[in-house]
Amino acid sequence: MATLKEKRTCGQRCEDFGRFIWNSDNGTLMGRTPEKWVYISLYYVAFYVVMTSLFSLAIYVLMYTLCPYAPDYQDRLKSPGVMVWPDTYGEEVIDISYNTSDKKSWMKMSTILHDFLKPYNDTKQLECNKHNCTKGKYFIQKTFSAPDHTKWACPFTQSMLGACSGLEDPTFGYNCSMPCVIIKMNRVIDFFPTNQTDLPPYVNCTILEGHNNVAKIEYFPERGIMDLSYFPYYGNLAQPTYVNPLVGVRFSLVGEKHAKIQCRVVADKISYENYYDPYEGKVTFYLKAVK
Amino acid sequence: MSKTDAYNMFEMDGEMDKKKNKKMKKKEKLEGMKKEMDIDDHEITIEELEMRYNTSVTKGLTTTFAQQVLERDGPNELKPPKGTPEYVKFARQLAGGLQCLMWVAAVICFIAFGIELGRGNLTSFDDLYLAITLIAVVVVTGCFGYYQEFKSTNIIASFKNLVPQQALVIRDGKKNEINANQLVVGDLVEIKGGDRVPADIRIITGQACKVDNSSLTGESEPQTRSPECTHENPLETRNIAFFSTTCLEGVATGVIINTGDRTIIGRIASLASGVGNEKTPIAIEIEHFVDIIAGLAIFFGFTFFVVAMFIGYAFLEAMIFFMAIVVAYVPEGLLATVTVCLSLTAKRLARKNCVVKNLEAVETLGSTSVICSDKTGTLTQNRMTVAHLWFDNQIHAADTTEDQSGQSFDQSSETWRSLARVASLCNRAIFKPDQEGVPIPKRLVVGDASETALLKFTELTVGNIMDYRNRFKKVVEVPFNSTNKFQLSIHELEDPLDLRYLLVMKGAPERILERCSTILIKGQELPLDEQWKEAFQTAYMDLGGLGERVLGFCHLYLNEKEFPRGYRFDPDEMNFTTTGLCFAGLISMIDPPRATVPDAVMKCRTAGIRVVMVTGDHPITAKAIAANVGIISEGSETVEDIAERKRIPVEQVNKSDARACVISGGQLKEMSSDDLDDALRNHPEMVFARTSPQQKLIIVESCQRLGSIVAVTGDGVNDSPALKRADIGVAMGIAGSDAAKNAADMILLDDNFASIVTGVEQGRLIFDNLKKSIAYTLTKNIPELTPYLIYITVSVPLPLGCITILFIELATDIFPSVSLAYEKAESDIMHLKPRNPRRDRLVNEALAAYSYFQIGAIQSFAGFTDYFTAMAQEGWFPLLCVGLRSQWEDVHLQDLQDSYGQEWTFSQRLYQEYTCYTVFFVSIEICQISDVLIRKTRRLSVFQQGFFRNRVLVTAIVFQLCLGNLLCYCPGMPNIFNFMPIRVQWWFVPLPYGILIFVYDEIRKLGVRRYPGSWWDQELYY
Repeated sequence: MATLKEKRTCGQRCEDFGRFIWNSDNGTLMGRTPEKWVYISLYYVAFYVVMTSLFSLAIYVLMYTLCPYAPDYQDRLKSPGVMVWPDTYGEEVIDISYNTSDKKSWMKMSTILHDFLKPYNDTKQLECNKHNCTKGKYFIQKTFSAPDHTKWACPFTQSMLGACSGLEDPTFGYNCSMPCVIIKMNRVIDFFPTNQTDLPPYVNCTILEGHNNVAKIEYFPERGIMDLSYFPYYGNLAQPTYVNPLVGVRFSLVGEKHAKIQCRVVADKISYENYYDPYEGKVTFYLKAVK
Repeated sequence: MSKTDAYNMFEMDGEMDKKKNKKMKKKEKLEGMKKEMDIDDHEITIEELEMRYNTSVTKGLTTTFAQQVLERDGPNELKPPKGTPEYVKFARQLAGGLQCLMWVAAVICFIAFGIELGRGNLTSFDDLYLAITLIAVVVVTGCFGYYQEFKSTNIIASFKNLVPQQALVIRDGKKNEINANQLVVGDLVEIKGGDRVPADIRIITGQACKVDNSSLTGESEPQTRSPECTHENPLETRNIAFFSTTCLEGVATGVIINTGDRTIIGRIASLASGVGNEKTPIAIEIEHFVDIIAGLAIFFGFTFFVVAMFIGYAFLEAMIFFMAIVVAYVPEGLLATVTVCLSLTAKRLARKNCVVKNLEAVETLGSTSVICSDKTGTLTQNRMTVAHLWFDNQIHAADTTEDQSGQSFDQSSETWRSLARVASLCNRAIFKPDQEGVPIPKRLVVGDASETALLKFTELTVGNIMDYRNRFKKVVEVPFNSTNKFQLSIHELEDPLDLRYLLVMKGAPERILERCSTILIKGQELPLDEQWKEAFQTAYMDLGGLGERVLGFCHLYLNEKEFPRGYRFDPDEMNFTTTGLCFAGLISMIDPPRATVPDAVMKCRTAGIRVVMVTGDHPITAKAIAANVGIISEGSETVEDIAERKRIPVEQVNKSDARACVISGGQLKEMSSDDLDDALRNHPEMVFARTSPQQKLIIVESCQRLGSIVAVTGDGVNDSPALKRADIGVAMGIAGSDAAKNAADMILLDDNFASIVTGVEQGRLIFDNLKKSIAYTLTKNIPELTPYLIYITVSVPLPLGCITILFIELATDIFPSVSLAYEKAESDIMHLKPRNPRRDRLVNEALAAYSYFQIGAIQSFAGFTDYFTAMAQEGWFPLLCVGLRSQWEDVHLQDLQDSYGQEWTFSQRLYQEYTCYTVFFVSIEICQISDVLIRKTRRLSVFQQGFFRNRVLVTAIVFQLCLGNLLCYCPGMPNIFNFMPIRVQWWFVPLPYGILIFVYDEIRKLGVRRYPGSWWDQELYY
């Protein structure tokens, strides 16, 4: 092996490398003659053209087989997630803390809510969701009876949130110690939250920490109900104007004005005990007001 | 060189402080050792010797002085070779090239984890897990390698003989038995038959003292030791007995001239330990390949680090990308695969009595192009055996096979009866008692080698020699001595009525012939005229030319009247007739080759391996044995042979006409290394005789200079430096000395040269199969790497996670890649030339390009197809995925909309991502099943090789599928290892790509087979 292992100097190595780059003895450029480089490049070009077209064909066939209205599987969406607004995060958890005396601080909260509620503007909703829905009943549509081959969606207007609508109080109560939060449940195609038609899903907030700091919890609409007529959802192709039903919750903070709150959407088909998904069926957040 | 200088040469240079100087001196020392030993103790007179060592040849040293010398020189024992400390051995296992890369990756993981932790982000323990896994992989493979090494070292340790040796020493004029390690220079010692010589001794007095030097010089015949200096070379002279050789018979006294490491044996041993351990070819191959992998991994990692930084990722993210690319690109499982493949072969070889000390040596034999074989004990049986007889004016061949399976000669002649009788009676050797059950050739005998040979020969042909001798009562005996060169004895006859005495004599043929006046031909005593003398001469020359030791035998019935019963025969006066005898015949002996050797040599030749004999024995014997076993093939001539045939002077012979060449140590001394290279180049059949240990080393180095990979076989201490220097040293397990075993990489437990052929075959097979294994292992690196590249550049949700990659590398794909080691050879590998270490690399460009850019690419496409399928069917269309990364990975975004308008929380998205990992994993698995099938062969069609012939491979595929299913569907997997129970149909999405891989490779192989040498063959055959 002596021949293979001679210690070569850097110069020799460079020289070897140079010869590898361009060997004038047999006219090879990096181990191949230019002609051979052309051949091998053409081969690879052809190879990749064929492979890419096969791949494109596969994707095309895939897209062709997909239904445009509903996904084939909803393995991950067995139960919808729930989120709270304003969605301000602390380190890891949602932390809605504001300073009543600092306008900038509470304006931030109210701006978030205003932005969030933009699609729910009354005039806008009544304009695009003209269907008159029957409350308290699943709105099951077998046919595309709405214009443009779509399905009807029930309107949800900002005003339905009452005191938390931001219409009467544009600050959403953030300039005092009665802040509003808005709970939204994620939409899932063909999801029925309950088996019975008489009991609609509703939001229920419990105080996990700081029981003494919350005097009163109010829900808007009444009892925090999400009306059954908003379910099921048919997907954005069938219901392009669909909006999620919302629930506004107003807390009256007293004492230290600090609490850990969990809001859960209660319905028998909505699970909330998934250890690995803290947002499934419920949302937990800190609420803190300082002066 | 004077004595003191010689000493200095070997003294430890403790006082040299500067390391550089020390190194220089060490090198000089080694060079010096490669030259001849310089001792003049054998040439000076006894008086000078007494002066030099302050001793007396009658009284020995004084006890007090001996004590002083002992303190000065240290005990008389060989220092064990400096072993590498265990922790260094273990550390070395952890510090290979790939291991280092994995350490780097682990460190990056730790840093990333540390930074995340510092930021208070406790969600992601993935980096920590990954770091721990990477370290575990390195440590586990390290432990495995270490265990292998440790196990083989233990086998060697068990060979060591630890019984302390006693020696008879004369100090203060009194004889004492002391431990041999207490002996010092100048001590007067006595040795007798059966003793091991306790140190290097200058003989002062000796009686019929013979020593066995075979482990030192390779001569199988016992060497006489007597007080006179016969040669200037200390190895050749008769008045020095060497440490660790055995005294076979006789007695001698001598003065110790060297002890411990300064003895010849000690110097050879230190010479062996001074020779650097050579890297095995497979180690070089793997290093070469690791260099490439490491280079590419760093290149890719760095490029994408820069790209990521450029695109606008944070530094930490870019670092994690770098780490992930390294993890994806480094074939973590490869080390384990290579180790397991090699140890499988090692195990297979162990079953065939080859113990492999160094795992990598398994492959070395396969790439061997030259075998330098010792003669004695390796090619031959290391036992003198009767080979030929000449009687009735005819040469008869005796059976020399080890198990007496050969043909015997015609034993009907009356002459044979007489010859057998002389051979049986005129013989002092006897069997050691209690060996009835042992086959005759294996029985232990007291007596010298040729008498032993004759005893065994007669026992086999005549039968029950002890009884036979008793029937012919021995009256008187004259033992062999160097002046008479004959041995005789006088016996009574078997027939009690025949009162004649029978004189039987054997000895050097010419001396025997002088004393004969008649010759026995077909039982008839004929006068020994010129014609018969000429016949005798021809036979003698013929047998001598075969390298055999020839003895003449004659007898005489003594005249009854002259020597009546009760006649007082006097062995000293020789008061009886010793001339006018009747010549019975010649018997010649040789240390015959082992039965399996000629066949093995032939196989080596067909396999393109050159077998060179390197021996310490005489040129004629060496040449004869070489011709006998086929090292010098039939019809090949040396320069001398041609000169003789053409009757022209040696100088006029065209050297290139001579295929064969015999070079003796003396000639070798005169040759420069260029001359030696030329000789090795010009003569394909080489025999080196009378070589010293240093010369063996030079020969090996010369072969290596010519670009060969050299295997050395040997058993003696004298072979150990060459064994160490060789690319692979093969020692004999039974006959081998400890020094040889220590220096070797491989040990043949049954001393069978033919095992080497098995080794070569296995070595070649494992090289081919390793190639396949590596090709298989490398392929999946591309589908592991591309997800990251796409993830970084196109910002799709990550298709394949690092933990999943490690599962592919270390769990599911290990067994299939190991199973390729069980693949049968595609063609008759023993008819191919050995691989050219410069050209035929383990991992060549074609292999890498084909695996990476073709099969690997197809696998990547398969993975992405399956990935997009799983995403689209769950609601994420491919176009939406593009650029989705930042939103997808936003922990604070709980209502991300998919293509259908559904809203997903972060955890839901995360589990979807795990689903993608699993789907991509499954795609790689399915494609790898196809890959392992195509890797079964490189040239043949898989249909020609047989789908199910390799049972292990089939099992491996089943295992791989089961493990894949277990990972997917075992409860709890999603949160431990990020595997999701995926929908069954996603297993089948990559199937068309698997079939495509198979069909494409069959087309490639077809092209390679149909158009050898074509562009297709050059570019696509690996």
